Amino acid sequence: MTTCDKVRPRLTAYLDGELADDRGSAVRGHLRECPACRRVASEEAELRDGLRLLEPVDPPASLWAGIQSRLAAAEVADARRPVWRRAAARWTRWARAARWTPTMRQLGGASFAAAAVVAVLTWRGQRGDEPPAAPVAVLGPPLSEHLAAAATAPRPATLVSADDVTADLAAEPERTTASYDRVVVELMKLAQASRARWNDGDRAAFDARIAGLRGTIAHADQPRSAQRAQRSLIRFLQSAIVRDDMLLASGGTR
Amino acid sequence: MTDLAEPVPAALAEPRTRVSAALSDDAQLIAACRRGEARAMEMLYHQYKRRVFGMAHRIVGGSDAEEVAQEVFVRVFRGLASFRGDSALSTWIYRLTVNAALSHLARRGRRHEVGDDGLTEVPAPPVTERDSALAARIETALGQLPAGYRAILVLHDVEGLSHEECAAILECRIGTCKSQLHKARARMRELLGAHLASGTTKP
Repeated sequence: MTTCDKVRPRLTAYLDGELADDRGSAVRGHLRECPACRRVASEEAELRDGLRLLEPVDPPASLWAGIQSRLAAAEVADARRPVWRRAAARWTRWARAARWTPTMRQLGGASFAAAAVVAVLTWRGQRGDEPPAAPVAVLGPPLSEHLAAAATAPRPATLVSADDVTADLAAEPERTTASYDRVVVELMKLAQASRARWNDGDRAAFDARIAGLRGTIAHADQPRSAQRAQRSLIRFLQSAIVRDDMLLASGGTR
Repeated sequence: MTDLAEPVPAALAEPRTRVSAALSDDAQLIAACRRGEARAMEMLYHQYKRRVFGMAHRIVGGSDAEEVAQEVFVRVFRGLASFRGDSALSTWIYRLTVNAALSHLARRGRRHEVGDDGLTEVPAPPVTERDSALAARIETALGQLPAGYRAILVLHDVEGLSHEECAAILECRIGTCKSQLHKARARMRELLGAHLASGTTKP
């Protein structure tokens, strides 16, 4: 005999079509006879349909610009972080993904290696040729000001009208260009510090490449092509800084 | 035995099953994003922005939804390099969204010490005129549910995901997912009370 107590916990599964034939049939049979359960089932069906028909919530147009700014800031922080810290972060990610737990022996080896790295870095610091390590949180004034302004700027209403979205989208290329510009300024500062240590040939090649990319940006006929060149410039600067960083960490000179 | 005069309403007689759409070109999109192609990143953003922002909006409320959605997308783009494809891209992104939203609520809860037994009230999203009165009440009731119930209801009933997908996102057993959904709907019915099936909300 199917009772209300047995039917009620199954109503959710029944309404979602998840009960096999005979059990579904028994629930349906009970619903024919029991007005109380029928009312509960009707309410739940109405609730489920109501939830399904809820309007999607559109994100504000500023969301994408905010994401790009944060990604750019994170990349600048990556470029500033010393090579060994990036390697440590990669290793941590790998160990987490592989669910690897080190044994005591491995931990001992790792401690020895860490001590050796610290000793080398300390020695290099005393030699005075290690560039000052910039903490992740300390960004140069232009980018940090930009981020602070973005954080405190009044946010648009969550549900914006179609006109607002169109206007905001129209202004998006300009915002992206400005945001790329700020990243370039930050990266140039870092690259200049590295450049001072290079030989004349490397310096000339670096300058020529920068001049070429700047020329492409200046003469681009469309914002999209200018932004493409800006991204190339950012990637080039990042790779120059990273190469220099690795060279320093390995103790070599350019 | 009672007579069978009472017919079962059509909506109760033919329950629907759920089918989730699979994304076929995820691998290509992921590869392009890993290469840093701006167009691919933008495409991925547009593909998921409503789902991520909608989830965040309904779990943490309107005022913090943008912050949470930003955090989710930054984690997505930076995490794609180590994304191994053990689960579908959409499942992974939903999981990041739910985790970010619930962590945000936990942090906010510690700051403001709101709610008892994990119940956190969030303001209902603004309702446009074309929404029915029931939709507005449902949004308000959603905001009064405990955060965990809110997550399962939004994933299963609003987003239309299957129990298997919800279980993968919430990293729990399918049975747990089903019982949580049942409890969440029961709590919603309590909160909505006479507004459901009363006939007053029907157009």
